[in-house]
This record gives sequence, C-alpha cells and structure tokens, in this order.
Amino acid sequence: MQKSFIIKRILYAFFIFLIVMTLNFFIPRIGVSDPAERYYPPQGNMTEIEYEIIKQVTREQYGFDVSTVQQFINYVDGLLHGDLGTSFQPGNPKVSHLIAERLPWTLVLSVTNLIISLFIGLIIGTIAAWKRGRWQDTTLLNLSTISTALPAFFIALILSFYLGFEKELFPAYTNPNMVSQFDWSWESIKVVMYNAALPIISMSIGGIIGYGQGTRNAVIAVTNEDFILTARAKGLSRNQVIFKHTLRNAMLPIVTSLGMSISGLIGGAVIIEQIFNWNGMGTLFLNANNTNDYPLMMGVMLFMSAFAIVANLVTELCYSLLDPRVTVGERR
Amino acid sequence: MKIKMKKIGITIGKKIIAIFKGVGRFIAKLWRHPKGRIGLIIVTILIVSAVFAPLIAPFDPYDVTQRAQKGLSPSWNHLLGTTITTGQDIFSMLIYGTRVSLAVGLITGITLAFLGAIMGIIAGYVGGIPDTLIMRTVDVMLVIPTLPLTIVLTNLFGKSYLMIIFIFVLFGWTGMARVIRSLVLVLKNANYVKAAELAGASRWHIMIKHILPGVSHLIIMNTALTCAGIMVAEAGLSFLGLGDPTAISWGKMLAEAQSGGALLFGHWWWIIAPGIGIFLSVFSFMRIGLVMEEVLNPRMKQSSNIYKIFKNLNNQYLDEVFAGMDEKAILGIQTTKEGERV
Amino acid sequence: MTKKTLLSIMTLLLFISLGACTGNEYERRGDTSNTLYVGAVAATFPTSFMPWLSRDGIAPTVSSMLYNTLFSYDEDTGNYVESIASEWYYVDPDGNPIITDEGAIDYERLEQIYGSSDKKYLPVKIILNDDVYWSDGTKLTVEDVYYTLDIATNNALSNHAGALAWTSDLQHAYSNGIMTKQGIFTYEHGASEKGYTITEAEKDTVMYIHVNKVLGAITSLFTTILILPKHIWDPIVTPENQLNSKNPTAETIHQYQNPVGCGPYVLDAQKTNAQVIVLNRNPLYHLTDTDGGNLYKVDTIKFMLYQEANVAIYSLLKGHIDVLDSTISSNYMSLFLDRDHIYVSNSEGTFTQSLVLNLNPVATERNDMRNLLSNIDVRRAIALAIDQEELVDKVLNGAGMTVSAGLMSESLVDFYNPESDILRTDLAARLIEANAILDALYPHKDSSGYRILGDKRISFSILGNPGEQEVISRLQVHLQKIGIEVTYKAKGSSPERTFLYNSKFDMTLQGVIFSLSNADIMYRAHFVTMGTSSNYGRLNDPLLNQKIEQMRTTLNLQTKYDLISELQPMIAEEYYKIPLYSSNVLTVARTDRFTGFVTVKGQSIFNSESLQNLEMVG
Repeated sequence: MQKSFIIKRILYAFFIFLIVMTLNFFIPRIGVSDPAERYYPPQGNMTEIEYEIIKQVTREQYGFDVSTVQQFINYVDGLLHGDLGTSFQPGNPKVSHLIAERLPWTLVLSVTNLIISLFIGLIIGTIAAWKRGRWQDTTLLNLSTISTALPAFFIALILSFYLGFEKELFPAYTNPNMVSQFDWSWESIKVVMYNAALPIISMSIGGIIGYGQGTRNAVIAVTNEDFILTARAKGLSRNQVIFKHTLRNAMLPIVTSLGMSISGLIGGAVIIEQIFNWNGMGTLFLNANNTNDYPLMMGVMLFMSAFAIVANLVTELCYSLLDPRVTVGERR
Repeated sequence: MKIKMKKIGITIGKKIIAIFKGVGRFIAKLWRHPKGRIGLIIVTILIVSAVFAPLIAPFDPYDVTQRAQKGLSPSWNHLLGTTITTGQDIFSMLIYGTRVSLAVGLITGITLAFLGAIMGIIAGYVGGIPDTLIMRTVDVMLVIPTLPLTIVLTNLFGKSYLMIIFIFVLFGWTGMARVIRSLVLVLKNANYVKAAELAGASRWHIMIKHILPGVSHLIIMNTALTCAGIMVAEAGLSFLGLGDPTAISWGKMLAEAQSGGALLFGHWWWIIAPGIGIFLSVFSFMRIGLVMEEVLNPRMKQSSNIYKIFKNLNNQYLDEVFAGMDEKAILGIQTTKEGERV
Repeated sequence: MTKKTLLSIMTLLLFISLGACTGNEYERRGDTSNTLYVGAVAATFPTSFMPWLSRDGIAPTVSSMLYNTLFSYDEDTGNYVESIASEWYYVDPDGNPIITDEGAIDYERLEQIYGSSDKKYLPVKIILNDDVYWSDGTKLTVEDVYYTLDIATNNALSNHAGALAWTSDLQHAYSNGIMTKQGIFTYEHGASEKGYTITEAEKDTVMYIHVNKVLGAITSLFTTILILPKHIWDPIVTPENQLNSKNPTAETIHQYQNPVGCGPYVLDAQKTNAQVIVLNRNPLYHLTDTDGGNLYKVDTIKFMLYQEANVAIYSLLKGHIDVLDSTISSNYMSLFLDRDHIYVSNSEGTFTQSLVLNLNPVATERNDMRNLLSNIDVRRAIALAIDQEELVDKVLNGAGMTVSAGLMSESLVDFYNPESDILRTDLAARLIEANAILDALYPHKDSSGYRILGDKRISFSILGNPGEQEVISRLQVHLQKIGIEVTYKAKGSSPERTFLYNSKFDMTLQGVIFSLSNADIMYRAHFVTMGTSSNYGRLNDPLLNQKIEQMRTTLNLQTKYDLISELQPMIAEEYYKIPLYSSNVLTVARTDRFTGFVTVKGQSIFNSESLQNLEMVG
C-alpha cells in the first residue's frame, strides 16, 4: 500500500468532514435572522420586554452576540477543544458529556447485533452457497425477500407485543433501573442482556438474512473464478476449497458491507431504541428533536457524521490492504 | 405548417401507442413469470384499493361523524375493530393508507431514478470535472446520516410528505447514479459507441441514443426496487411522526397503535394490519423489480443478482454495501452485452 | 452439518437472551422499607439541582421538595400559608402593620395610605420562622432571603431571565452589577436608615421589602422564588462564575449536584442519576403535623424515569412503581377497571381548553377570512355552535366538564360569576340563533352547504398538535351545522415556530387557567398585552383593558374580587377565547404497599396532601 494513497484518503476524509461541519453549523440558522428566537421561542405569558431580556440572555449564553463569521470561528474553535455545544436540558449539560453517557448503550445493541448478524449470516450464507439451488438456498432467498419487506420496527413491535406483553418472557420495555444500577457485576450484566434481548433479536433478523444472502453471493461469485476451479481441479475436497480459498477471497465484499454496518452503528437503531425506550443515542436524538434542543441535535448529527467518515476511511484502507489493486486505479 | 403539426401529432400518437404496446407486452411478460404474477396481482390490488378507497372502505376514516365507539374488537361491522384513541375503523384506515404508501413510493422512486440516471450517465460518459463534482457530492451525501438529517429538516421546515420526498430524492439518487455510472464507464468503450463518436455524433446524441438504451434495463429494475425501499423508509419516517400529520398512513397507524396503548390493551390486530400493508406493498414491488431483471435481460438470469434487492433499501447493513460486488456483476454482464451489440 | 449449525444458532440465541432470563430486577416488589416509588414520564431527569435551572419536567417538583418558598398559596381561600416565613403584613411608612383588630389585612387603610400617587411603593414586612435550618445544619436567616432576592435582580451575578421576571414587582434594581435602587431591608442591610426598626432579637427573622403598588406584586416573590443558602453560594458566585453559568466551575457543579436546601427532603446524590432521583427525609425540616410528628409520612421517595406513558402504565400494572406522577389519557380508563390494588384519581381539572380566534391580525397577515373574525357577530355565531357536552363525552370519554364562557372555574365560588355563563343554553336554540345571525350576513351557500363570501367558501384552519386533532375534527362537525368550514392545520407543518405571535393562524387551541393567584399576570397576558404574549388573536378592547388594569392595581382585595367578577361577562361577550372543555386530571396509584392517597383538585395523585396522609400496608 502506498503512503501517498493513505495520506490522500485521510486528507479527503478531512475535507468531507469540513463540508459536513459547515453544513451542520448553518442548518439551525436557516430561515431566522436571530438564532436566539429559534433557540428560545417566546412562551405563553411573556411580555415583549421579558422576551427581549430572555433573547439577550440566550444570545450571550449561546454566543450569538457576535457576527456570524465570528460565531463560526468560535464554533470551530470549540470543536477543536472537543466542545460540541451545550444542551438545553435542565442543568445545561455538555453535548459531548451526554453523548459519552449514551453512546455505550447504543453500542451494546448495535455491536451485539452486528456480531450476531455477521456470525450467523456467514454460516448461513456459506451453507446456502454450498447447497446451491437446494432447499437451503431457496429458503434463504425467500427469507431475504420477506425480511427486506418487513421493516425492523414492525418486527420489534410484534416481538414486544408477543414475547413482552403476552408471554412476559422479556421486558416489553427497557427497565429504567438498568442504566442507573449498572455496576459491571454479573447480575447487572444479566439485567442488560435480559433487557437487550428483544431489541437485538428484532434488529438482527434482518441483519442475519442480509449477511447470509451477501455471503452466499460473494462465495458463489468467487467459486466461479479461475483459481477456485484450479484448486478443485487439483483435487482438493469441496470442504477444503470452500473454507480455505473461497471464504477468504469472498471476504472482500463482506468487508465493504461490514464497513457500512460500522458507520451505521450509532444512528442505525433510532426507531428500535424508540420502541423499546432504550436509553441510547437514538432516543437522545429524538428527545432533542421533541424539545427543539438544537445544540444537542446538531452535536449528535456531527458526531454521527464524523463517525461515519472515520468508519468509511478505515474500511477503505482495509479494503486496499486486502486488494492492492484499489490503490492503483479508480476507487469505485 | 399545418401538415407539419399534423405529422408531429401523428408521430407523437404513434410513440404513445408504441409505449402502451411496450408496457402491455412487458406486463404480459411479467404475468407469464410465476413470481412476477404474484407481484402483479398484489400491486393491482393495492392500486385498486388506493384509487377506489372510498368505495371499498366501509367507513371514511377522515370523517368524524363516522367514528364509532373507541377501542372495539373486530366484528362484522368493524372488520379490524376501531382505534383506542379516536374510534376510527381500522380496516378503512388500512385501505386509505395505501394511498400514501403508493404515492410516496412511486413519486419518489421515479423522480429519483430519473435524477440518478442523468447524474450517472453524465458522470460516466462526460467524465472530467462533472464526474468529479458528482462523485464528490455522492461522497458527502454518503456520510451524512440521513434519518437524523430528515428529523432536523422536518423540525425546521415543517412535517409533510413533500419534505420526505425531497429528502429521499436528495439522498437517494447517489446509489442509482453510482450503479449507472459504473455501467456507463464500460459502455463508453464499447465499439458501437466509439463508432458513433468517430462518425461525429454529438455527446447528447450518443448519451440519449446509445448509452441510455444500454442502461435502461438497470434503471427500470432499480426503480422498482427503489420504490420498494422508499415504501419501507416512508413507513419508518411516518412511524416517527415525520409525515403529514393529517394523512393516514401505515407507518403512522403503527405509531398510533404503539402510543395509543394497543400493546397494553392487547389489540394485536391494530399492529398486524398496517404491518401487513407495508409488507405486501414492499414485497410486490421487489418481486416485480427482480422479475423485470430476468424479463428484460434474460442473459442475466444466471448471474444471480439477487443481492440487488438490498440496494437503496433502508437496510443499513446492505445499503451501499454491495456496490463493490455490483461492479463485478455488471462487468460480468457487460462482456456478453458487448458481444451482443457488435 | 446443517443440523449442527442450526443447533449452534439456537444455542447462541438462547445464551444471549433466555440465559439471562432470571432474577428479580424490579426492586420495588421486594422492598419493605418506607419507600415510595414514583414513576415520571420525561425525556431525562435533571442531574443538577440549582432550583432556578429547572425549566420543565420533573425538575420543579423535585426542587420544591428540596427547597422552599417563603409561603405557599392556598388556591381555595386565596391565603398565603406559612412555610419559611410565618407572617407578613403590609406596613405603613413607619413599619407598623396595616391590620384590622381581628388581625386581617385592612384594605381600606391600605388604600387610604398608599392609594394616592405620591408613594411609589408598597412596603411589606416579612417574619420568618425561627426554626428553619438548611440541610447542612446552618440556620436560615433573613440574610439568606436578602441574598436570594438580591441576586435574582442582579443579572450580572445570576444571569437568569426567569429570576428577573419573578422579581419584576420588587423595587430592587441593578444596572450592570451596580445597585440602582434598594428595595430589600434587613437589620444588616439598611433597615434602620430607611426608618424600619428591627430589634437585635429579631434581626434574623424580620425583613422589609418594597414592592410595586399592586396586590399581586407579592405573589411570585412569596410563592415562586425558592430561597437559596447564602453561605453556600455567596463565596462561589462572582460576575465571572455566575449562578446560572454556562461554564460552571467544578465547585459550582459540586453544589449543583449536592444541593443544600430547607425543604422536607434532601437529595441522595450517591443514588441519583439521569434515570433515578432519590430523596430522603430531611430530619431538620421545621414543619410538623398536628401531633408533632413528621409532616410527610414517606421516608424515601424514588423517582423513576419513563420515557413513554405506555411504559409507565405498564410498569404500574406490573408493580414496578407505586404512583405514576403523570396524567394519563382518559382512553386508558377501561384498562384500570376491575383490577386489584389500583387507585384511580379522577380529579377536577383547573385547566380550560379554549378556541382562540385571530380577530386582529397584524397588517401583513390580514385576509378576507380573518377579517370576518373581527366581526363580533360572526364570533358569537361560532361560539354558539360549539357543543361542549359532546366534546366532553366523545373526546374526554366523560372525564371532564363543560366550562363557563367567563373562563373561570365554577368551583372557585368566591370569584365565579354565573352571569358570564352565556353559552350553555339549549343547543338546538343556539344553532337556530347562530344560523340566523349568519343568514343575515352571508346568506349564500355553496353546493356542500357552506356559506360563501364573494366566490369563496368561508373556511378557517385550526392550528393544533396531533393530540388535539380529535377535538378539531369534532369542531369541524359543529361548525358545519352553521355553514362554516374548519380544517386541521398541524403545528410544525409550517416552519414558523413563533406563528402565534405573528398572527399566522386563523384559529388555534389554547389552554387557560385563571385563578386569583394569577389573575394579575394572566388577564393582562391573555387580553391586553400584544406581541409576545398569550393574547394570540391580539384582542384590543379599551374598556376591557381599562377594567383589567383597574383590577390589577387596586389595593382593596374586595374591589379586586368584584372586578374579577365583573370581568368574566365582559370576556364572555368578546367571544374571543371560546371555552371547549375542562379535562379531569387522571392519575393512578397502586395500593398494595401504601394506602391513603388523596385526590386534590387539579393535581396528580402524587401531591403534598397524599404525602402527608400515606400509610404503609402491613
């Protein structure tokens, strides 16, 4: 892998981040002359004078009392110091603090989901490719059509209803004590697993089948290539071929899809979190939206975008490690 | 002058007839395909219930005077019971909900395909600065988390289906453009295109006469699949309450069922009904999209492009994902395609 | 191979989920201590408890349990009940209380002395209880009160807009951190210079304040401002590190998170976080019940966060909490019927839902339809057509009441004026009357039966949020009967957030609460002030304005009552805020651990009377 390639990609990712950051700064300022009015809309029984005072205080608090250019400079300066802004929530917590608090809980869901999906998906996909055209393969094909047509949030509602309310196997909603009582003891880890079961199952049904189908296609695509045919011709057994040669070479597209999954780790579970009242980034964002907490909303947005950019960058670099051709020619 | 107009009229008329004939032939082909037939039947049912909703639905869910007692269980009078929140007839809501889903899905899917195809062809064929510009825009679009941005934008500019369609189109064309572009890059070097260039044909002429037909099968297939994906995504956004607050849509019905206590009361039919609606509409469009691929391009049958289902769908994992694989598949197809042309 | 894989998949799933399916994670079920588990529906709990920080949600409830105001207000009698302070008087310029022989406020003398225009302020003497202590053991004195009111008016130190608004009637002012007018006097802060004698013995408990010359001036000072401990905040707060600082220092954050108050409970900072707030009894709390025992019967209160109402109801039904401190929709009522250990509190609401007509839009927002609303006859016809009983029956499932057009609750017998109830006659007769009014003005109707103006159908949109859609659709039917079309327009479907002040609406729904305690602020906000106030439709009636100002500024309480009574028919006849209904406050509690819940008007089941009356079971 060429050094210049790495540097080029990093610079490019940084450039994209600059664009996203600028968009992020201007979005809440669209359509209003004074952002203070957006941040603190007038309440019921306010008089004009009171509202003026409030706007003045809001301007000072959120730094709107300087020119837009200066605001932008301050914003960038804040970002450089890791300051994503200050939320409207009671106590005016820092956005970065709130994200740090919620992020692990979202990762619990999404990472577990990713691991399960990937693991089971790989197994299923390999089986389907192996038994190409047989019932295993067609079942997977049909399942993948069905699962794409069934949105994950619908599956989540059904599970929450059937397993949560009717059978009472799992909590239909996340126990609010789960977060507060978490202390790394085995007991509390069990509580988390118990509460996370339904969200993870409803997310991973689609994921397993998706990865399964993806693996199957990748494996089949590779099986038709010359070197596999050669290996077969050399008299290696079918199993050996599949596990030694095929799977390894089929990894390439799977890595790409893994990269995509990783960039969606933070923001991918918004609706599921909402259904189960999971205390993660998704509910943080939706609540920020409901309370018009713009600093929090934009902070979370920026964080998610930055995460996606980094994930993309890492995937690209991994990809180029696996497939040196990439560094030479066009990226896509 | 008059004669000229008449001639033009006749040509247009002929073209329209040709298009209708083409569509007819196409539907006939779909019908002959067992999988396509299922899709076609479901889509017909959906379209009929969307268009004739007032005739099919026993009640008008928008009409307050036709509301019944709240929270009724299914009966002959109310096939799927009534809602706990307002006493609307759930079966009628289900029928009326078809309208939003189909309208948003079709409008977005077609607009997006149009935009994506233009961008893809320009980027692929013209190359140079337009290509760089388009592909860099695609890169930026890719990293912006779409769902949060949709939430922010509806917060700022108001909740409506127009907004949702706008955002879908704004962010959705990228996937289409990339697929088209990679195919165009191959077609560009095809002998017949080179020949046309040597013959002095203009760029536009080549793009419309030679490139577009070459990618049309991909566009049509992708449109159907995109429509399906958009329908799922629309349901999700409606579920989050980002759609038009007055409209009745399946996603919103699900959200109402959840927030209105369907789970607490044990009214499972209120959840199942809109879920089945979403499932059927997405399923049928996907089926048609997949069958189209086989019908339009029979040689591709063998190259198992099934993973294209996941293209542009809201499925995070597989969304962009198989772009890389796609390219390989397309390359594979193209070798045969070129041979056919030459 | 296949079977093995399937097996391993199943095992994995089981391991992830079923394996953890043990243990009783809901601590309430096994808790035998005197702990009340309270569910609250909110996005998040506050984690810092400087009382003024709290804007909404559960924060005010918690703050009011940790801190205290000078007095509390009794809505039924209009009296101030002792809390930190025990007594207060209006005093003459020499500092002598203006009271009758029976000890009540002598409003006639008050009017004689201060009614004339040469006195610019009204002096008030406040006497604190002598046995109030901060939870860290320090005694609460008038200096704490002085400090609190002083810093509230000094924006350079507090940087809190709300505090400025609460103290707007206090004649104590700062400009850029420099005091421009003194209006609070204690032994140490210039009482004797001002001519108020405070003896050495009273120096901790007696203070004087100067307020604007209106009877309502003391309300927010007495009942809204939570008193802060001077010994905690004075050393920390500087112009650089303001009380409500956006970038608080570590020390300030520590104090935010470990609040020292004088309320009945103290915060258990160790157990409190964004999902749970734990309050323990404050052993130093000065108020007791009649037997000298603890005023509040519960030792520990645990607030548990629920982000959604359904979750909270589910948890209550499952027994994870004792009380749900959030009102629930009447649609859920049937869920609680025939269940053991469930107590549903169905208390009369104080909140009146009204339909606001935009009768005087700003010049740029005028159009033909809105101009119609400036005609009082049209407004009257609309008001007559609305069927409150049907709204209560259908929208609220019967859990509510119809309301007088004067917008004052009938249960406030002292102020309610029955003459204002002009919209509750027979519906059929009202519709005939309404149609007669409109027939005279707009006799022509289109094919759908709607009246037309010029060539356009008379049509208005009602701005509301999704929860109000049902009410609006009922109104559609009501107004259809008089040939007027209304449609639902969703709030948030237009980018403007401040639309209500910009006149960008035809009609909207607005909740109003009028009572004696808020009459001064609310009447003015709802009917007089234009711009950023609750007077969305910009009503401007000089006669009404004059009457409200008179009511606000009178120094005689009886006159004030009379004027409030007179105002109600005037408001009713404006047909500007048309009453729709008053919904009941529905809350639920479990009775398997605690009994003795008290239903209090307009409040949830988790109220101070319940807390004073609860008893543990077995």
